[in-house]
Amino acid sequence: MSWKKAFIYGILIILCFLWILPIWPTVLVSLKSNLEFGIQKFWELPSQNAFWSNLVKAWNQAKLGRYFINSLLYGLIGAAGAIFIASLAAFSISRLNIKNSFSWFFLIWSGTIFPFQMYLIPLFKMYMSWGLYDTFLGMTLFYIAICIPFCTFIFRNYFLTLPGEVLEAAKLDGCSNLKAYWKIFMPLSKPAIAVLLLFQFTWVWNDLMFGMVLTRSTEVRPIMVGLAQLQGFRAGSGTDIPSLMAGAFAASLPTIILFVFLQRYFIEGMKLSTAGE
Amino acid sequence: MLGLVGEKISAYLFLVPAIVMVVLFLLIPAGYTVAVSLTKWDGLSAPKFTGLGNYFRFIQDTVFLTSLKNTIIWVIFTLALSVLLGLLIAYFVNRVRFASFFKAVFYIPLTISAVTTGLIWLWMYSPDLGVINTALTALGFSGRSWMSEVPLNTYSMIISWTWKTVGTNMVIFLIGLQAIPVDPVEAVKLDGATEWQTFRHVVFPMLKPITTVVVSMSLINSFNIFDIIYVMTGGGPYRSSETLAVSMFRESFVLFHMGYGASIAIFLSAIVLFISWIYIREVTRHELKY
Repeated sequence: MSWKKAFIYGILIILCFLWILPIWPTVLVSLKSNLEFGIQKFWELPSQNAFWSNLVKAWNQAKLGRYFINSLLYGLIGAAGAIFIASLAAFSISRLNIKNSFSWFFLIWSGTIFPFQMYLIPLFKMYMSWGLYDTFLGMTLFYIAICIPFCTFIFRNYFLTLPGEVLEAAKLDGCSNLKAYWKIFMPLSKPAIAVLLLFQFTWVWNDLMFGMVLTRSTEVRPIMVGLAQLQGFRAGSGTDIPSLMAGAFAASLPTIILFVFLQRYFIEGMKLSTAGE
Repeated sequence: MLGLVGEKISAYLFLVPAIVMVVLFLLIPAGYTVAVSLTKWDGLSAPKFTGLGNYFRFIQDTVFLTSLKNTIIWVIFTLALSVLLGLLIAYFVNRVRFASFFKAVFYIPLTISAVTTGLIWLWMYSPDLGVINTALTALGFSGRSWMSEVPLNTYSMIISWTWKTVGTNMVIFLIGLQAIPVDPVEAVKLDGATEWQTFRHVVFPMLKPITTVVVSMSLINSFNIFDIIYVMTGGGPYRSSETLAVSMFRESFVLFHMGYGASIAIFLSAIVLFISWIYIREVTRHELKY
C-alpha cells in the first residue's frame, strides 16, 4: 500500500472514530441505572442492564408513549395524504395537457421556498379562531399541506420520465383520466412513493417548531416536542439522564428503521431532489 | 362528447385539492405575515399600524444584532466545516475498500432528528458528568462550560450540527463524483499530475453543479437553524446564542411581540429567497442541458 493510500485510510479512520464517539457513551448511559450514572465514569460498563426500566419511566411518566403514537399517526397520515393529493396534481400538470401547466406547478411548488417562520404567526391565529388549535385534525391537515409542494415536485419529475405512449394507449381504449392515474401511473410510481414516504414521514416525525406552536396538550403533541421538554438538563437540575437517553433512542427508532429498509430510495431521492434528473 | 368535456374538466379537478391546501395553509399565511410585520401587535388586542417601524428597530436592537451576528457565524462555519468535510469524505470514500462501512458511519447521525442530536451533544458537553469534560479532566486539563460561555456555546453547537449534517453533504457529493467520467481523470494522472492538481483542475470543475446544490442547501439550512439551538441552549444564556429563526420564535411566542417577530421572519425570508433564486437558476440551467 502506498503512502497516499495509507494517508487516506488514516484520515477516514480518525473521522469515523470521531463520528462514533458521541454514540457509544449515549448507548451506555441508556443502559445504566440513575444511581450508577451518578457514580460511574462515562466509559464504565453498567453492572446490570437498566434499559427497560429507564424506557418504561420515559414512556409512562414522561408520557413519551402517547407522543410516540401521535407522531406515528401524523407521519403516516401526513405523508400518505400528501402523496395522494400531490400525485393527482402532478399527473394533471405533467400529463393531461392543461393550460398554463407550469404556472399551476409553480403555484404549488412555491410552498417550499419560504422559511417556516413565515407561516407561524398566521397559522397560530387561524388555528385559534377556527378551533383547529391543539386538535389532531389541525395537526394532520397542516402536515399534509406542508408536504404537498415537495411531493408535487418529485412526482412531476418522475412522471415526465415515464413513456408517453402508455397514456395514449390507455386513452384509445377509453380509459378515463382517473382510471389511467390509478391503474397505470400509480403502480408505476412505486420508487417515487417510497422516496416520498421516507422523506416526508421523517420530516413530520422530526418536526419540533410547528408542534410547539400549534399544540398544548399531551393528547395532541408530537414526539419531538415531548422529547425536548424532557430535558431540564440545560439548567443543570436533576434530570434523569438515563431515562432521557433511553427515550431518545426509542424516539429515533422509526426513522432509523425506515432508513435501513429504504436506503436505496434515499440515494434515489437525493438524486431526484438535487440533480433535477 | 359529454365524456370528452368531462375529461377536460377532471384534469383541472385533479389540481384542486393540492392548490387549496397550499394556498390556505402556506401562501395566505405567508402573505399575512407581511401585513403583520407592519404593525405593533401582542396577538390579542387590535394591531396598530406602524409602517416600517419594526424594520428600523433592527438597527438599535442589540439582541437582534447579536442574533444576526450568530446567524452569520453559523452560516460561515457550517460551510467551512460541514461542506468541506463532506467533500473530503466523499472524495476519499469513493476510492477505498470497505466504502460501505465508512459511509454507514456518517449515515448514522443523518437518521436521527435535530432534537435527538441536541440531547446527545448536551450530554457530551455537560459540565460535571459530561463526556468531554470527564475526558479532559482525566487527561489533566480543566473542563469548560461549553453551553454557557459566550461565544464558545455557538461554536460548540456548530460542532454538533456538523456531526449531524456531514453525511448529507457526503451523499450528494458522492452522487456528483460517481457521475464523473473516469477517462479524463486517468489521463491526467498518466501525464504525471499530482493528486492535488488532478482534484483542483479536473475533478473539482466537473463537480461544480453539484457543489452549487450543496452550498445553497447548506446556506439555506444554516440561515433557518432552529431546532438544535432551541434544545441545547434555548438561545441563552441571556439571549446570547440566538439566531434569527430563534429570535423570531421568542419575540412572537414567548414575548408576544408578534409584529416585531413577523418583521424578523420577513428579513430572514428575504435572505433565503435570494439564495434560493440563485440555486434554482443553477439547477434549472443544469436540467436544460439534458
